[in-house]
Amino acid sequence: MAARIVLAAALLAAAFSFPAAANPAAEALIAERQCVACHGPAGVSAVPLTPSLAGQQADFLALQMILFREGLRQVPAMAEPVRGLTDQQILDIAGWFAAQPSAPKPDRGPRDEALARRGAELSAARNCNACHLTDYAGRANVPRINHQREDYLVHSLTQYRDNLRVGADTQMNGLMHGLSNADIRAIAHYLAHRD
Amino acid sequence: MITSRRILGLAALAALLPGFALAQQTQAPPAWAQGRPPEMANSRLAPHPPRLTVTPPERVPVASLRLPEGFQAELWAHGLPGARVMVRGPGGTIFVGTRVIGRVYAVRDTGSERQVSILLQGLTQPSGLAIRDGALYVAAINRILRIDNVEQNLANPQPVELTAAFGLPEDVHHGWKHIQFGPDGRLYVPVGVPCNICETDGERYALIASFNPDGSDRRIEARGVRNSVGFDFHPRTGQLWFTNHGRDWAGNDNPSDTLHVNLRRGEHHGFPWCAGGFQDPAVPRDRLCSEFPPPALILGPHVAPIGTHFYTGTAFPERYRNALFIANRGSWNRERLSGFNVVVVREVEGGRLIQEEFLSGLRDDANQRFLGRPAGLLTMPDGALLVSDEENGAIYRITYRGR
Ligand code: HEC
Ligand code: HEC
Repeated sequence: MAARIVLAAALLAAAFSFPAAANPAAEALIAERQCVACHGPAGVSAVPLTPSLAGQQADFLALQMILFREGLRQVPAMAEPVRGLTDQQILDIAGWFAAQPSAPKPDRGPRDEALARRGAELSAARNCNACHLTDYAGRANVPRINHQREDYLVHSLTQYRDNLRVGADTQMNGLMHGLSNADIRAIAHYLAHRD
Repeated sequence: MITSRRILGLAALAALLPGFALAQQTQAPPAWAQGRPPEMANSRLAPHPPRLTVTPPERVPVASLRLPEGFQAELWAHGLPGARVMVRGPGGTIFVGTRVIGRVYAVRDTGSERQVSILLQGLTQPSGLAIRDGALYVAAINRILRIDNVEQNLANPQPVELTAAFGLPEDVHHGWKHIQFGPDGRLYVPVGVPCNICETDGERYALIASFNPDGSDRRIEARGVRNSVGFDFHPRTGQLWFTNHGRDWAGNDNPSDTLHVNLRRGEHHGFPWCAGGFQDPAVPRDRLCSEFPPPALILGPHVAPIGTHFYTGTAFPERYRNALFIANRGSWNRERLSGFNVVVVREVEGGRLIQEEFLSGLRDDANQRFLGRPAGLLTMPDGALLVSDEENGAIYRITYRGR
């Protein structure tokens, strides 16, 4: 826990806004750290339990990478990829993934009407769209939750419910309280099958 | 205990509001939804995202700061994402606490520049710091730590775990704290309510307690305090002056955040029934505002007072000596922004308190956005006032050079 890192001036020098699409520095880092091996080319994941990052909110991506780097969100698979990244590198990478096109997942499987309806009811009852917005595309630190892998949605919602994941704020933990595994499956199915 | 309707699911909550949610049992709806009237169910208001990355110095909005005539602001330190509370060690090191980024920083002044290092990291919201006998006390949500001879051990701090001795609740919501030693040598520790509005065990939550420095001999100093994250002791009277955050979702202008003086040990200040003269409609009227001591000052709706600090220097003009400065981190649960400034509270004729804006320029009313969020305040030995900006991870130094 105890550590002393003198913050380098170089780290402070560069501009801090999220750079948009074409960014050679970001592309080099993403290649070097093999993000796409797990998260998919252009950030559309084909790997179970690994989230798509394409078109995700840049603020959210940067926050999560910082939480991984600081050891505050502990996921073994993500420990190495973010090790030693500077703030600017994180902003570069976040900007790149955020700028990749987001679309419904091509391999999401058929829609189960009854399950999706149940998920829609639960989402409406808990006002999911108040923060994630009506189309569930998110904003700033509130992530996009449409176009996501269904299995990852189940996983992340379960983690919030069981207090195994606490984000930059605790809203999701409280919101998931009292939902059953079946409820979570329904919500995930509904979200993953939205356009 | 107050009687109240028991509301279990969120769906039930929406149907029955205004009602009153129980929170000490785990069935409670999330804080985000408690006390939210049906007409606000689809409100898009949400807390502002924290900025956890370094703001380069040329982007820190020091040039936008506005101060009374004769005062000036300079950028004193930067590169401390999330900077909030500041305390000063006997050797001159400034320690800086944070919330989401989980760090405690140490800032050394070499005269020409400030060197920032990370003393601790990976903690859960270490927003409370206090110094005593060369030791740094750190309060995170789930832990209390002490680092002896901290300034001799900046590179290799060895925290002593005091968590069990203090035995505080571990609830995350409103569990981040301010801590400070009183003139009686005891450590003052608030415990907020784990909800927006709820019934809680008033002997465990909604209070400010004091302890011996080792965590023994707990004593309740103030009750009925929803969430205080800033307090100080009057330089002459030694009285506890604390600020308090009013609840969310009761409207743009209700209730106000407040300043209180704790005149009697154990005094009850009104939560959940009353906040700054506002009788909460979501709570059964078992007790009325008239039963509680009124706040010393109404600060304004949703301004979010954090740093609450008596100016003890002599470099500022006479009217600011022993005056109370309050850093308002600024609103989220309000359609138009409020706060994002530093105010000064002074006593005028008849002992009446008034507040005046001291530092402004961070709230852009025309565009409804903010440039920074003042959080911590500290008087330096030379009489300068340090103000931390949580949004920009920066510390401003305010000095007076006369008219
Ligand atoms: C070995 C596989 C692997 C590699 C390589 C990898 N990731 Fe991940 N990443 C994961 C997994 C698995 C998760 C889901 C974590 C969980 O279970 O909560 C994840 C989660 C994330 C998240 C959180 C997203 C969300 O929706 O919560 C971000 C952001 C992220 N990774 C970015 C990156 C970046 C950027 C890189 C390259 C620097 C990278 N990852 C490399 C496996 C990987
Ligand atoms: C009060 C605002 C709010 C509401 C209401 C809300 N969310 Fe969230 N949600 C957030 C925030 C903020 C995060 C990011 C938290 C973090 O840092 O981990 C998040 C994260 C998530 C994630 C994680 C996505 C990822 O890629 O890791 C999922 C899934 C999610 N929310 C689904 C939901 C569902 C389903 C609902 C309704 C039951 C809901 N949210 C309601 C604010 C909200």
